[in-house]
Amino acid sequence: MLFKIAWKNVWRSRGRSLVVIGSIVVGIWALLFGTGFMNGFLVGYMANIINNDISNIQIHNPEFKKDYDVKYYIKDGKEKAAAVRTWQGVRGATTRTIVSGMISSPKKAAGVQIRGIDLTNEAIVTHLDSLVAEGTYFVGINRNPIIIGSKLAENLGVKVRSKVVLTFNDGEGNITAGAFRVVGIVKSSSIPISELYAYTRQSDLTRLLGIGDKVHEIAVVTDPQADEQAIVTKYNTTYPGDQAQTWRETAPELAVMDEMYGSMLYVLMTIIMIALVFGIVNTMLMAVLERFRELGMLMAVGMNKLRVFVMILVETIFLGLVGAPIGLFVGWSTLKYYAINGVDLSKYSEGLESFGYSSILHPYIDNSVYFIVTIGVVVTAVIGALYPAWKAVKLKPVEALHKL
Amino acid sequence: MSVIKAENITKTYKETAVPVHALNGINLEVQEGEFTAIVGPSGCGKTTLLNILGGLDHPSTGTVEVAGTNITDMKDSKLIDFRLQTIGFVFQAYNLIPVLTNKENVEFIMLLQKRSKAERDKRAMELLEQMGIADKANQRPSELSGGQQQRVAVARALASKPKFILADEPTANLDSVSTANLLDMMARMNQEQNATFVFSTHDQRVIDKAKRIVTLEDGKIVSDETRN
Repeated sequence: MLFKIAWKNVWRSRGRSLVVIGSIVVGIWALLFGTGFMNGFLVGYMANIINNDISNIQIHNPEFKKDYDVKYYIKDGKEKAAAVRTWQGVRGATTRTIVSGMISSPKKAAGVQIRGIDLTNEAIVTHLDSLVAEGTYFVGINRNPIIIGSKLAENLGVKVRSKVVLTFNDGEGNITAGAFRVVGIVKSSSIPISELYAYTRQSDLTRLLGIGDKVHEIAVVTDPQADEQAIVTKYNTTYPGDQAQTWRETAPELAVMDEMYGSMLYVLMTIIMIALVFGIVNTMLMAVLERFRELGMLMAVGMNKLRVFVMILVETIFLGLVGAPIGLFVGWSTLKYYAINGVDLSKYSEGLESFGYSSILHPYIDNSVYFIVTIGVVVTAVIGALYPAWKAVKLKPVEALHKL
Repeated sequence: MSVIKAENITKTYKETAVPVHALNGINLEVQEGEFTAIVGPSGCGKTTLLNILGGLDHPSTGTVEVAGTNITDMKDSKLIDFRLQTIGFVFQAYNLIPVLTNKENVEFIMLLQKRSKAERDKRAMELLEQMGIADKANQRPSELSGGQQQRVAVARALASKPKFILADEPTANLDSVSTANLLDMMARMNQEQNATFVFSTHDQRVIDKAKRIVTLEDGKIVSDETRN
């Protein structure tokens, strides 16, 4: 009957209870959608960078990344890449010859990282072919074709089939140059791809560099469930002279973002739950204060303090239990809808893309978030009920009975 | 057998600038089956005395024994349980739980005593029948008149099978017909079931029905009259 009284008390002041339930619904919805939205941003951003640029694992000569000097190549890089391709959990591996240099058009010049790529394996690892927005993926121009990003093309004022000149130091430190013709322009929200890289055939670049078929980087893409760290450990054990690193080491800022997302959920949840706690405390305190006399009577006739405390607590939990499923459902439905249709942020696409974000956002949350939120609401309801319940048990029946 | 034994009870309220001596050396013994009215003008200490006899308040000095147990210095947590098992209360403002039906209001006290559902059902209906409001069992208190609500309150007080019932101005909010009905009902309970009632009142109609009249003035008993 205690539960029955508590349940009926919830509906005693219908309007007030509905306001609290409404705030719980809105709070949960905001929490789920906010988390999904942020997650969509981050997951999309990270996926873009990992899938199109840095890959899951990168392998270099340990000295190479200090100043990107062409002399620090991976010994037998192509053979090693071929071996890695056969490992369990590896979906693809590609080799790159890399050199820093200048790209010039008749109008302008810019600093770039020139990447001599293995066309077939690069397409498997970074899907570079799918990013080509204009022109082709190294088809149609036989002599020194080059692919550049859309921003770089815009900066240089070049189009497909325009001629550009690459200038860089060769393997012996001499300045060398080569004329290339733009075969394709790639469009990506990744800033390096869009602005900083110039892709050539590996053979064209190594010929100009005069370093044979040497490579400076092996990029490895793994299966989604594969243990990247285990593959890195295996590589470093098998080829101790090289340095293999997961994306967490290659791009520590992404690892920080990944961790930040985890804690962001709790930050957001704490903020929303604190707001909810105040709403609940306010409502339940009013409910207790206007029932002073009744509570005094209950204690006078023999209802002990624990029961009074539990009754107030249960009333509050009931409020949460009514609001939580509705909030979860509304939040789930909204996320489901936008996960399929995406949130169109094209109005802000220029700004977003300049930061490497996609203009169509697909909110996403892990199922465990629903569970965490449910627990969070119950905990919030309990915390919100503590003060009013404490107020109730501190009542002296003899005083409460004579309150007007 | 005495159900209440109060000796040299005093009560002083010190919260005010000038201490108020509400009770000054009260000695009172109530026997089982009595129908006692505590009367006197407003502010004479009737409610204070009832609160102390009912274990809702502690005396400043003196001792209170209820059903053979000294409750003078009993801890509040123990007093709650003691009240549940020993004392029935009827309040001036009825104080029923508005969200429960009348039957549930009567049952509620037995639920706190952890009685079985079958027993609760049976006794609640019996008591409502004795009070003449069995047909209102499934209605809410707000659907009843003041007199009917007070009868539910009496049924609730009797439901716990208390040693005695304390009623603080039970007819203060009732019209004359309701008062007469309620008093008849309580007198019948007293006669048929030997239920002990102690009222505080200044209602002459209640005083006329009482078998014993204890008169208070300025916190002292000035007369104690028993009628046949």
